[in-house]
Amino acid sequence: MSPEQIMLIPKIENGFVLDHIPTGSGVKVLNLIRGHAELNESVISVGLHYTSRRLGRKDLIKIQSRELPQRFLQHLSLVVPGVTIKRVENYAVAQKIVLEPPELVDNLLSCPNPGCITNHERGVTTCFHLVRREPMKFRCNHCERRFALSELENRLKL
Amino acid sequence: MKRDLISIEDLNEKQLRDYIEFGRKIDGMSHEACRQILAGRILGVLFYEPSTRTRLSFEAAMLRMGGQIIGFSEALNTSVAKGESLADTIRTVERYCDAIVIRHPREGAARLAAEISRVPVINAGDGANQHPTQTLLDLYTLQNLFGRVDGLRVALVGDLKYSRTVHSLFHALARFKDVRFRFVSPETLRMPEYVIEATEGSAAEIAETTNFEEAIADSDVIYMTRIQRERFPDPLEYEKVKDAYRLDRSALKHAPSHLKVLHPLPRVNEIATDVDSTQHAAYFPQAGYGMVMRQGILAHLLGGKL
Ligand SMILES: [Zn+2]
Repeated sequence: MSPEQIMLIPKIENGFVLDHIPTGSGVKVLNLIRGHAELNESVISVGLHYTSRRLGRKDLIKIQSRELPQRFLQHLSLVVPGVTIKRVENYAVAQKIVLEPPELVDNLLSCPNPGCITNHERGVTTCFHLVRREPMKFRCNHCERRFALSELENRLKL
Repeated sequence: MKRDLISIEDLNEKQLRDYIEFGRKIDGMSHEACRQILAGRILGVLFYEPSTRTRLSFEAAMLRMGGQIIGFSEALNTSVAKGESLADTIRTVERYCDAIVIRHPREGAARLAAEISRVPVINAGDGANQHPTQTLLDLYTLQNLFGRVDGLRVALVGDLKYSRTVHSLFHALARFKDVRFRFVSPETLRMPEYVIEATEGSAAEIAETTNFEEAIADSDVIYMTRIQRERFPDPLEYEKVKDAYRLDRSALKHAPSHLKVLHPLPRVNEIATDVDSTQHAAYFPQAGYGMVMRQGILAHLLGGKL
């Protein structure tokens, strides 16, 4: 990252950097953060349209919080598969992981199929399985329909 | 562990063959012996939408094995109509019976019922999704007609886009050895790519055609489905294709003598009645095999002695 870019978004002492977000998806991640009450008090900085060697352009989000909730991470893996998460301690990167969608998506989504029983019963737990990697497809355990990630990202159960 | 029958996709080749075998065992038994298999057991038949044929077939299967039936054949006058959830209905009914057969207009309803129920659940159709006992009876019919399922040349004809019966049958047959498929349909009702994709290339051979005649001359099995008028936004389009995929006696002139015609029934006019008396018609025997297959399914899931 060049010095002028660093000027745009402040370094954080402690927290998390969500990096390598495909440009345009930063806003989706921001909405996701809003949907998770545990993060509502955290200081968030957002950088859009950075130049990236890997993606050409990328978005970047910094969250000043002690931890990221499990459910938020699972949702995040579905909204921006392949996102990099860096844990920052004392201004330095302490840990770095690349987040991939889970094989089993346990009650994180509602089913896009309007005829699916899970959309008509109260208190039903949904379940999707990753059935294909390229391109990524998930199958609803109940109605057995297959969905691309793009069909699922606005079906998050927050 | 409790056994359920929810989806053909849950069954591997061995399990499919096992089910066929359960049917054969039932078929080889005397009426007397058969009546002992599920004596004193009760089947809950929950039909949230009417399907007389399937329901009668299940009920006959249960009665022939000495069992009894409770249930409803449409949801109109039940607690369901008053807004009871499926989950609550299952939690109640499972206390009255030893297994549940469910038909429901929502996709995934049988799976949900099985997750809740402590007694075995059999899916008798969940919306546009699955109808696994239909597929098993189709396989059982083929086994009876040809003495085998492996190596058959099967033409699936008509509405291949929306017919779940055909999708399930294709998926099941693709797990057997060397079954060769011919998909015969109008351009607008072709077998969807996602249905083919789901077999992960396990089908030995697939040919797609709009030419029904050629398929008749070169197949062991013609599996007919109905082309529904509602599927066509343009009624003229429907008029054009409906006759092209209609089977009558003259169309069977060049059929190999062993060719069998199957149909999940009810038929409307896609098979002319003059086909009924030919050696090729197998759709009524198919219904009979259906009951035997359902006996085998019930006996297996309820732990009856075969
Ligand atoms: Zn579903």
